Amino acid sequence: MAFVEINNLIKRYGSLTIFDGFDLTMSSTDRLVLIGPSGCGKSTLLRCMMGLEDIAGGTISLGGDPYITGAERGKMTLDKTVQKEVGMVFQHYTLFPHLSVLGNLCLAPMRSRGMGKSDAQDKAMELLKRFGLGDRAKFYPSQLSGGQKQRVAIARALMLDPKLMLFDEVTSALDPELVKEVEQTMMELAEAGMPMMIVTHDMHFARNIATQVVFQERGKVIEAAAPNDLFGNPKQDRTRDFLKNVLNIEG
Amino acid sequence: MNYDFSWFHVERAFPTLLEGLWVTLELTLWANIIGLVLGFIVAIGMMSKIKVITWPLTLYIEFFRCTPALIQLVWFFFCVPILFNVWWSAQFMGLLALGLNLAAFNSEAYRAAIQAIPESHTDASTALGLNGLQRIFFVILPQALLLAMPVLITNGIGIFQQSALVALISVEDLMYQGRYLSSQTFRPIETLTLVALMYFAVSFPVSLTVTYLERRTKRLLAT
Repeated sequence: MAFVEINNLIKRYGSLTIFDGFDLTMSSTDRLVLIGPSGCGKSTLLRCMMGLEDIAGGTISLGGDPYITGAERGKMTLDKTVQKEVGMVFQHYTLFPHLSVLGNLCLAPMRSRGMGKSDAQDKAMELLKRFGLGDRAKFYPSQLSGGQKQRVAIARALMLDPKLMLFDEVTSALDPELVKEVEQTMMELAEAGMPMMIVTHDMHFARNIATQVVFQERGKVIEAAAPNDLFGNPKQDRTRDFLKNVLNIEG
Repeated sequence: MNYDFSWFHVERAFPTLLEGLWVTLELTLWANIIGLVLGFIVAIGMMSKIKVITWPLTLYIEFFRCTPALIQLVWFFFCVPILFNVWWSAQFMGLLALGLNLAAFNSEAYRAAIQAIPESHTDASTALGLNGLQRIFFVILPQALLLAMPVLITNGIGIFQQSALVALISVEDLMYQGRYLSSQTFRPIETLTLVALMYFAVSFPVSLTVTYLERRTKRLLAT
């Protein structure tokens, strides 16, 4: 049984079909990086897995537990207990500006898990120190750099001990010089054994962090392989074309 | 100009003006309590998808926003007692009109602020396992209130100034006392200038506070 299993996923926005029977699996030791042209449904896939999108068909399972089941008519069924085991970090940080860094980290564990204040704060401080942000605990998001904000957002997601982390283009909004610190944080998390799914446009980073790279186009998996194979020796013409294009643009 | 300034009368008049100011402040305070609470309820109601709720509320808001405060006040004073057979004091009628007026304007301030909170915060809240109520109470509302606060205070101090209209339905507020004393003493310049200064003395610090709050909120909520 795969750790993550997506079966026959169907997702539509009105008359626009994003996925029409999409399948994907991932093991618990994997770090899966999704690449592909924009509009191919990479971010939508992560949003579906987080339970943010109403899907019209198929199932999404975590640890053998199908927690999202699509329905053609009416609302999908969603198991919120399993949903809470998935963490997600977004492109635009989405830190809550009215709360301090510490407040951002402690809000969810205290409110949705009933964790005590001092326990939550201890845990938050531990995470912040681990990410080199210990001295920023009392700061407000508006006082942080983009890279710091994104690292705080990662720490905030980790407060809930997720079994799977989703990263949706988390470095795309950052100035180039700030990308590295966020990528390093993710690398550290990878080394600690966190299963992740990552959407990124940074092919270099994809190659470094992935155990498995999935190239998708128009809502279909075109090719899935280990990073060295997919980047070094792509089997499909479309993969090759895509890589040639993006690597050329990146110069 | 040939006018002998005489501050003697003004000195004598001052305690009466203070009494009037007290009435004005009382009216302002209660109108603001109505405006803040009712305005919030109306704003929440306006976000409903049920037309039976939003229709009357829209009518209410637009009525108070699209007619002069003076006619609202006079209408409440003269028409409500006849229409509904209730005979409340002029001060209470004035308060009702001012409070409902303020609530209409405040509801729009609340609504604009709530709608200004980016959709992505809803996604982030869901990703953090917060349920709908937790999201509203701990994520959306605190930000919306911060955003709305400068407008709410501006509206509130606007009502402090508008409340001068109640003098017309013989509520003995600051304006009423000022007019009364200026005709009693034949000293309009001294009395009315002092009245204006008293309104100013209350409004100006509030206005400065709003400027400060606006700057602070903008900095805090900058993304």
